[in-house]
Amino acid sequence: MNKKVLSLITGMICFVLVLAIVIQIKTIKSTNSIGIQTISNDNLRDDLLKWKEKYDNANVELDKAQKKLETTRQVAIQNKPELMKRELELKKNNMALGLTNVIGEGVIITLKDNQGITNESIGITDDIRSYLVHDANLREIVRKLKISGAEAISINNERVVSGTSIVCSGNVIRINDRKVGSPFEIKAIGSPELLYGNLTETITKLNNSGIIVEIQKKDNIEINKYDGTINFNYATNNE
Amino acid sequence: MIIIAIVVGCILGAIIGMYAPIIPYTYSGYLAIGIMAALDTVFGGITSIIKKNFDMKIFVSGFFGNAILAIVLTYLGEKLNVDIYLAAIFVFVSRMFNNLGFIRRYYIEKLIEKKENKKSKKKSIDKV
Repeated sequence: MNKKVLSLITGMICFVLVLAIVIQIKTIKSTNSIGIQTISNDNLRDDLLKWKEKYDNANVELDKAQKKLETTRQVAIQNKPELMKRELELKKNNMALGLTNVIGEGVIITLKDNQGITNESIGITDDIRSYLVHDANLREIVRKLKISGAEAISINNERVVSGTSIVCSGNVIRINDRKVGSPFEIKAIGSPELLYGNLTETITKLNNSGIIVEIQKKDNIEINKYDGTINFNYATNNE
Repeated sequence: MIIIAIVVGCILGAIIGMYAPIIPYTYSGYLAIGIMAALDTVFGGITSIIKKNFDMKIFVSGFFGNAILAIVLTYLGEKLNVDIYLAAIFVFVSRMFNNLGFIRRYYIEKLIEKKENKKSKKKSIDKV
């Protein structure tokens, strides 16, 4: 075997080995960054990660199925004005319920815990709890947004719909029964001027109370759809 | 030439690896075992170069064959509910240490030999 072939093979082997190692390191790094370091048991961690993967895959499949349904529907209603009207109504209703992805101008509000504060640095009469973002702060902002005519709201990509609850749960906040943690990013679509103007007072108040809140006007804010199901167990149509 | 090939291979692998998509977590365990098998073969190859019985065909087939065999065994172990990968890691790592020990001893002996040669040369010069 001559020297050229020898060095080519050696180079290829180095390439394969380093490629595999880099990919492995990247994979492990990305799985560690999901925020599951608190789980010390390896088996539990493994299980959780595998379930998460299955969940993601199922979501992708659901999206595919929905697209297929959409095209089937389009084909079915072609050249039927009556059905087309119904379809438009359905789309409008879905949008009102928060079951569609939407985009538009509006504001983005971020709320952060005040990290620089410790028990020692505040006075004895001060309470460290007022330097953390609480569920009540989020509720207040969401309420103000709704009053100001926001058409779509999401907190850390959890869509706020008619049945959304925002409740405290230990060191996290549950929104739509999903845990979200600080920092919180509230996106709202609506008239940017109106939202900004109406929220300034609330935000100044929150900033004075200790937490860090910022508001920005922005175009092209994307808000994802509500991915849970809306159930009615007790209410029936009364018309 | 060979050193250039090694450096180029490593750099290319690192760059492409940075931009490659990550693999699903389920398969990352298999890849880890494959990497261990490949590393074991590399150290085995260096040892055989020192022993002067190195054969490229055996090296290449061992590199890929061992990795694939380790992955297949791990998969089989998962199906049979036996942690075969533990045995595989044990074998690979112990062999790696053996080979590393051999390489280390070889180079240290070489170094000592060189130093003694220098000393004896100096002494002979002094005597003259």
